[in-house]
Amino acid sequence: MVGAGLAGLTAAADLAAAGVEITVLEARDRVGGRTHGIEVAPGAWADGGAAYLGDRHTELHKLMAGLGLAATPTAMDGGSRFALGGGEKTRAGRFPPLNAVALGELFDLLYDLTARVRPDAPWLTPGAAGLDAVTAAEWAAGALRHPDARLFFPLFLGEMMAADPASVSVLHMALYLRSGGGIRYLNAFSGGAQQDRVLGGAHQIAERLAAQLGARVRLNRPVRAIRQDGGGVSVHTGDGEEHRADAVVVAVPPLLAQSIDYRPGLPAPRATTATGRGCAVKVQLVYREPYWHAHGLSGWSVSATGPLLSTVDDSPPDAGAGVLTGFVTGAEAYRFAALDPAAREAETLRQVGELFPGLPPPDAVHVSDWVNEPYSRGCYAAVFGPGDWLRLGPGLRTPHGRVHWAGTETSTEFFGLMEGAIRSGHRVAAEVLSSHATLWREP
Amino acid sequence: MNVYQATVLFRRVLENPQVTAESDFFHAGGDSLLATRVLSAVAREYGVELTFEDFLLAPTPAALASTVTGGPR
Ligand SMILES: Cc1cc2nc3c(=O)[nH]c(=O)nc-3n(C[C@H](O)[C@H](O)[C@H](O)COP(=O)(O)OP(=O)(O)OC[C@H]3O[C@@H](n4cnc5c(N)ncnc54)[C@H](O)[C@@H]3O)c2cc1C
Repeated sequence: MVGAGLAGLTAAADLAAAGVEITVLEARDRVGGRTHGIEVAPGAWADGGAAYLGDRHTELHKLMAGLGLAATPTAMDGGSRFALGGGEKTRAGRFPPLNAVALGELFDLLYDLTARVRPDAPWLTPGAAGLDAVTAAEWAAGALRHPDARLFFPLFLGEMMAADPASVSVLHMALYLRSGGGIRYLNAFSGGAQQDRVLGGAHQIAERLAAQLGARVRLNRPVRAIRQDGGGVSVHTGDGEEHRADAVVVAVPPLLAQSIDYRPGLPAPRATTATGRGCAVKVQLVYREPYWHAHGLSGWSVSATGPLLSTVDDSPPDAGAGVLTGFVTGAEAYRFAALDPAAREAETLRQVGELFPGLPPPDAVHVSDWVNEPYSRGCYAAVFGPGDWLRLGPGLRTPHGRVHWAGTETSTEFFGLMEGAIRSGHRVAAEVLSSHATLWREP
Repeated sequence: MNVYQATVLFRRVLENPQVTAESDFFHAGGDSLLATRVLSAVAREYGVELTFEDFLLAPTPAALASTVTGGPR
């Protein structure tokens, strides 16, 4: 198994349970990939990576239950703050101070696109070539007339996909929104994809799976080359280790899968020059308590200018800390990630001061920079650019001899989410077991 | 816009055939995102542009129909 993220560890656990002898090679010095815990106060954790889940994330819920992990609701009671031009405003609920009819027209168009895409095979969508040839930015320039719709669309896409509209194809946008349950579900907290968090942090899922797998998981083992011959497959790591196997699963994001050297070479690429990496930086400000509640605010804010395009209350439910999480996404994430730490903190504090006047200075500021993570390169997930679904889609899950593929980007269900990663793990484990009958050992 | 037309519109946007003239949009599965789709349909089909706050005051098909028929503000 290459990669100890949720996909790789889920698959490894399934295979180990079936009696398969398995080794997990992980490039980093930790497991969990795009989930990562930050200890904001002694024993209190926040999510520097993936955080949110909803009731439709059924495989994630099952996995958590099996590992003894519970969900905790995301608190959204109170008013919201908006800085969408013309100063900051407070509103009850989450509805922005923008023209509602214009936003309705935007959502109508997104609904139509989402309904059109074929969820199991987007490349077979009627008119797929046309939809895949256009970026979301080009589409918006032609389709959106009202300035409020044009202002809100990139913010919405940033929240949903951490994508710059200029780098995502319309077909990918439609697939992503469809596969996550539609725009209402993806956008919603209560009753939607942000309803809950993992109590104590999402990083515990991978940590508990890895603990069960024990010495099978090897850290600091970046895989560089995969060679197949008549008798099996050799997996080579950066420091020259060779691991011999009957089959290998590559459970890493597409751009990283593409950068491994395969012999014989791949018949179809895992990523192209158009394949983007979603861009997200998460900033966590830690306070003694969630002071904004006393002002009747939920902590939710949306701003048209960065760095923090949105903020949300991420306070651990029972521990003594208030956590405000800011999202820097899309093109703004590239700009912010290039700043030095002092400049990042100064920009963050200035903006939070404007959004939440009267908030005392935070006790700590944590920045999770996924843009510069060499072993993620795509956060929240890879962003398929123009032409990608037509080129990459048909072979997304097709094994290359003894090489099998997993990872959230191989799942057309809940693509890009933890749920998609876990589903891909179960899928690939079943695939390996059925195609390599000799792997079975009687337990 | 009559009450029947408003009820049909709610049912379509909420994908909920159980909606009646007195159903509250936000108790029948609606949220602010879906509310904007009601408002865009009202603007397109009846030529009346309502605000989100107007809708909060008229969140049932019966109330919405009378707000729309009451004419533009
Ligand atoms: C800031 C942020 C917020 C997010 N928010 C959410 C959310 O709220 N809800 C949600 O469901 N999802 C969210 N996501 C997405 C979610 O984190 C991912 O979909 C999921 O974790 C992907 O799991 P994976 O196993 O497919 O890939 P990864 O987690 O990327 O795992 C791949 C693993 O492979 C390793 N690896 C890479 N290259 C090699 C190599 N050559 N050799 C060996 N190992 C290698 C990596 O180090 C990594 O551990 C978010 C992501 C980010 C970054």
